[in-house]
Amino acid sequence: MSDYPDPDEEYELMYADELELMQEQDALTDTNVVAKSKIAKRSLDFSNHMSSQPAPSTLITKTTSSTETPVTPNEDADTETIINSQSSVILQPMEEALVSNKRTADELFGDIEDIDFDDKEMPNKRFKSEEENDLELINKIIEGRRLRQLLVEPSNRLQGTNKPKYDVKGNMSYNIPRWAFVPLTNFEGDRIYIRLESEESWENNLNINIEQPSLHAMYANAWEEARKILEKKQERLIENENTEEVVTIEEDMETKDAQLWVDKYRPQSYVDLLSEEPVNRALLHWLHLWDKIVFKKEVKTKDPQQRNSFVKRTGQFQLFNKWKGKTDNEPELDEDGRPHHKVALLCGPPGVGKTTLAHLLAKLAGYRPVEINASDERSTDAFRTALQSATLMRSVLDAEKRPNCLILDEIDGAPLPTIELLVKWCTAAIDSGKKKTKSQPLRRPIIAICNDLYATSLRPLRAVALLVRVGGASVCRLSARLAAVCAREGLLAAPHVLTALATRAQGDVRAAIQVLSFIKARARAQLKVEDVENAAIGTKDCNKTLMQALQAVFTIDDKEPEAILKIVQAAGEYDRIADGIFENYMAARVDARMLIACETLSWLRLLDAISSWTMRTQNYSLYGALSLCIARCHRVLASRAPQRVKFPTQAQEAYRKKLELESIVNSVWRGSVPSVALSRNSLKVDVLPLLPYLLSPSLRTANVQLCSESERRSLGACAGALCDYGLRYVQQRTADGLYAFVLEPDINRLAFYGNEDRVRPPPAVRQAIARAQQLEIIRRNEEMTGRAPSTTTSDSKKPVESKKPATTMREQDAAIPNHMQRLKPKEVTKSTPQVHKDFFGRIVPLSQVKRQDALPDVISSSSVFYQYREGFNNAVRRKVRLRDLL
Amino acid sequence: MSLWVDKHRPKDLMKLDYHKEQAVRLKNLVQQSDFPHLLIYGPSGAGKKTRVMCLLRELYGSGVERLRQETMNFTTPSNKKIEIMTVSSNYHIEVNPTDVGIHDRVVIMDLVKNVAQTHQIDSNGQREFKVVILNEVDDLTKDAQHALRRTMEKYVATCRLILIANSISRVIPAIRSRCLTISVPAPTESEIATVLQLVCKKECLSLPNDLALRIAKSADRNLRRALLMCEACKVQQYPFTPDQKVPEPDWQTFIRETASMILSEQSPKKLCEVRQKLYELIIHGIPTETIFSGLLKELVRNCDMTLKCQVASYAARYEHRMRLGNKPIFHLEAFVAKFMAIYKKFMEESLGDMF
Repeated sequence: MSDYPDPDEEYELMYADELELMQEQDALTDTNVVAKSKIAKRSLDFSNHMSSQPAPSTLITKTTSSTETPVTPNEDADTETIINSQSSVILQPMEEALVSNKRTADELFGDIEDIDFDDKEMPNKRFKSEEENDLELINKIIEGRRLRQLLVEPSNRLQGTNKPKYDVKGNMSYNIPRWAFVPLTNFEGDRIYIRLESEESWENNLNINIEQPSLHAMYANAWEEARKILEKKQERLIENENTEEVVTIEEDMETKDAQLWVDKYRPQSYVDLLSEEPVNRALLHWLHLWDKIVFKKEVKTKDPQQRNSFVKRTGQFQLFNKWKGKTDNEPELDEDGRPHHKVALLCGPPGVGKTTLAHLLAKLAGYRPVEINASDERSTDAFRTALQSATLMRSVLDAEKRPNCLILDEIDGAPLPTIELLVKWCTAAIDSGKKKTKSQPLRRPIIAICNDLYATSLRPLRAVALLVRVGGASVCRLSARLAAVCAREGLLAAPHVLTALATRAQGDVRAAIQVLSFIKARARAQLKVEDVENAAIGTKDCNKTLMQALQAVFTIDDKEPEAILKIVQAAGEYDRIADGIFENYMAARVDARMLIACETLSWLRLLDAISSWTMRTQNYSLYGALSLCIARCHRVLASRAPQRVKFPTQAQEAYRKKLELESIVNSVWRGSVPSVALSRNSLKVDVLPLLPYLLSPSLRTANVQLCSESERRSLGACAGALCDYGLRYVQQRTADGLYAFVLEPDINRLAFYGNEDRVRPPPAVRQAIARAQQLEIIRRNEEMTGRAPSTTTSDSKKPVESKKPATTMREQDAAIPNHMQRLKPKEVTKSTPQVHKDFFGRIVPLSQVKRQDALPDVISSSSVFYQYREGFNNAVRRKVRLRDLL
Repeated sequence: MSLWVDKHRPKDLMKLDYHKEQAVRLKNLVQQSDFPHLLIYGPSGAGKKTRVMCLLRELYGSGVERLRQETMNFTTPSNKKIEIMTVSSNYHIEVNPTDVGIHDRVVIMDLVKNVAQTHQIDSNGQREFKVVILNEVDDLTKDAQHALRRTMEKYVATCRLILIANSISRVIPAIRSRCLTISVPAPTESEIATVLQLVCKKECLSLPNDLALRIAKSADRNLRRALLMCEACKVQQYPFTPDQKVPEPDWQTFIRETASMILSEQSPKKLCEVRQKLYELIIHGIPTETIFSGLLKELVRNCDMTLKCQVASYAARYEHRMRLGNKPIFHLEAFVAKFMAIYKKFMEESLGDMF
């Protein structure tokens, strides 16, 4: 217990995402301080940028913004409360932070610290709605992140500040503002005034937008100029920083070979994360839900409504909203105090930072991340040990003694039994028994990471896990990060190049950073547009799904008529695509003369022949032709009219049904007696389709005893046939509670198409058949067992002369062929009278022995023998053999 | 053994009902000491198995009729356990190696070796060799057939093989040349009718000749089917009447319906419906060759002579391709579509001529 954070720290853990970042950054202060000293002068021109922004955006110019001294948290809070009491939404004193060039990093983050302080003080400020608090919080974090980027990533200034940003607080007001406005009423009935933007400010915005790749051509000249300026600046910067840079670069050089850039520039704190804010928060919130069971402290359950409304208000946090919407109905914690979802499942394309996110947040929430990924063994046993060691034990060597948080990376590659084990582990109740059961309940968070959420093996996990979808980083944030990396590595890169790179990477941070490192490794000091264009990224993830490929087959793409081949090849699974085409081609085009159908099918036939040849011979030389076949189908079938392509299911369905019926054939085939054994094909084609007719004799529905001789014979034939083919009538309870005789296996399903009940005999007949069959079975068994004894039955009737039959039997044995001979127990004959010996081996005289058991001797020697039987019956006893009854 | 098919199966070579000269020759074969490997082929329901059992009885006496069913286990080189059912007597063993699919080679190798390497212990038995009966040899994989080649020669002293196939076209020539090939043609319709009459006489029933002929006609020269149909007739209605309804396998009716659907209308919509029917047939395990030939037979019936050749040649081509592939539905539907196209064109042209 004492190892866990004490109550004072708990709250900080709760809001660790905000708090931790400062503490984390203390570790980075070296670089920060270094960075700051050089920023000092350049942030001046940055502030010029800011001032060049449309002036009327500041509703209230705060006096504190001009002061250079840091504002103490308390004061800050006070001013805020005052402003809030005026119930107008204002700008937070963040501007001040932007201008406060001379501040140290600590002071800056002290500034963020007061954010937390605000939160802590929240109960005091009842009048301030919690939503607003959250809004502020978010905004502050965003601002803080931007600030941090400014500090740590100097070259990014242009990027970060020029980014057009919609300032909510500056442009909206609850009061009638002084600027031009449009009034609106929000869903709560409040009146909101939104600023009308002047044309010049709009144009300014346009100018800022220059960096967007789409406008690149239009502003090529200005762009070129800007680049030059920037490069000059960069050079100047490098000169200025010579002293510091040397140190850092030397450090880098040492670690360069050992460390990938991706690892080197892995986010170190919450604000560094490139993934979307709601995603981060969702995961963090879930991690905090574990606090009760892990750290033994109360989790604040303030959340649901408040957060939800907040989400509604801002609107921009779609994903957050979705996530909350899911947990809205169900309690977030179960009765054990554990979160409702025991596992968080992060999914998203490769390279967007899922693993990083998981590790970082686990650390932030006070855990020690333990990772299991595809390179570790993931058999069921190995996985169980890993699970147990990670969730039930705690590391002794770790100085901080943090609890573990298990991170299962690349879980979509794990075998299905492993995942089932995980699910079982998670869903086990906390008190699964008073006695010590083997499976301990889960008491630690588990984060699973996957690329493909819909992998078949993940199906069981998907049902129980909290799904968090991590999207790719946005282009501007990614390019900002790339710029930071470039600056640190001394790689010259114009912002537009970085933007192009970021766009190309499609959110794949890892790929983008690796391109940078690749270019750097070629000893180039500058990143050019050509490099980006030649970089082989963005094309690696051209995986297409089956449906995309099918859609492509059925539509004409005017832009890229040749693209079909690429798409089909990217999708693979030619067989499935062929199935898809087969199921959809009828609706593709008007085809009165059936020519299109013929053409399409001829290609599909070719495809089938080639693919089965390939599979049969394991010779892949013709494999390439498969995609060509599909491309030909595309030529025949594609049209401009949009078509709803259906997912191919018929083939699967047919296969499943076929297996079902096949099993019926198999059971008949196995059950039939050897003398009627047939090949399965002739069973299917000849016998089984006709057998139902044979098994429905036309009987009167009367007692079997009353049947005519011919009827009884047909009944016997029917029973015999049932026995021959291993069929049985089984009594089954129907839905309406009656018992009915059902043929097992049900050959009618196999024999008939649709109208299965056509030739089923009526229930009474069925019952008669069932009875006749039972008799038949007994008779046959009797025959089997009675075959050998039947020769000796006559002998057994004269037990007196037992010697002679034995010899005859032996003679018979010799005559009987091998397979008919049976084992018989050897008779033990008493040759010598038994000699009684006492304990010491001396022979005891017979008379003594006789005297000892004289009593039993009397009984055995007597000719009269009486045995008492309980009960009384005066019926005449007579031996009746079963075959007499049959 | 209470169905007529099983009950009245001839047990002696001399009691066979048709192909009597062949029976005599087989009997002579047994009389001579030199008994070769046999490859017996003929369509389903022609009496191959009956002849083989008669032959065995001729060789070993009635002991071969004491059959027992066993499952044998084999392990493939890839350590997969496979199981196969065998029917055997003291003198012979019968397997259907295609039951285990692509692993049939293992079965052939192990089983034949097992049997061949053990000599007949009972020295007073008539023959010093055992017999291995392999069913459906034409469906064996090429691997298995090649494995069979050498085995056949090597163990010829202790074991004889009787191979049963529907057609020898898919048996490799190497095996064909090592065997005495015996063809068992399907009985003619009149032969079937006589057999039916005989069986009915044994059952003390009187079968009108017309009905016998009708049954023989719809049984498609398959004696087994004919006997089953005859018995079904009896179950449904006795005494027989010459014009009573002959129950036939439902899939035959189903194929006929499908064919009439194809002839009734030629459009993609109809093709869709036909596809469902074809799927249904495949699901019920009707061999695709049978579907093909059934469809062709029904379709051609309504065709002009010029169309007939064309359709038949397409059917042959498509069926061949189907055997190469493993998605029979593609090929079946392709054939139907092709037929529709040809038929429609033909109809339009003939209509155009009329006007």
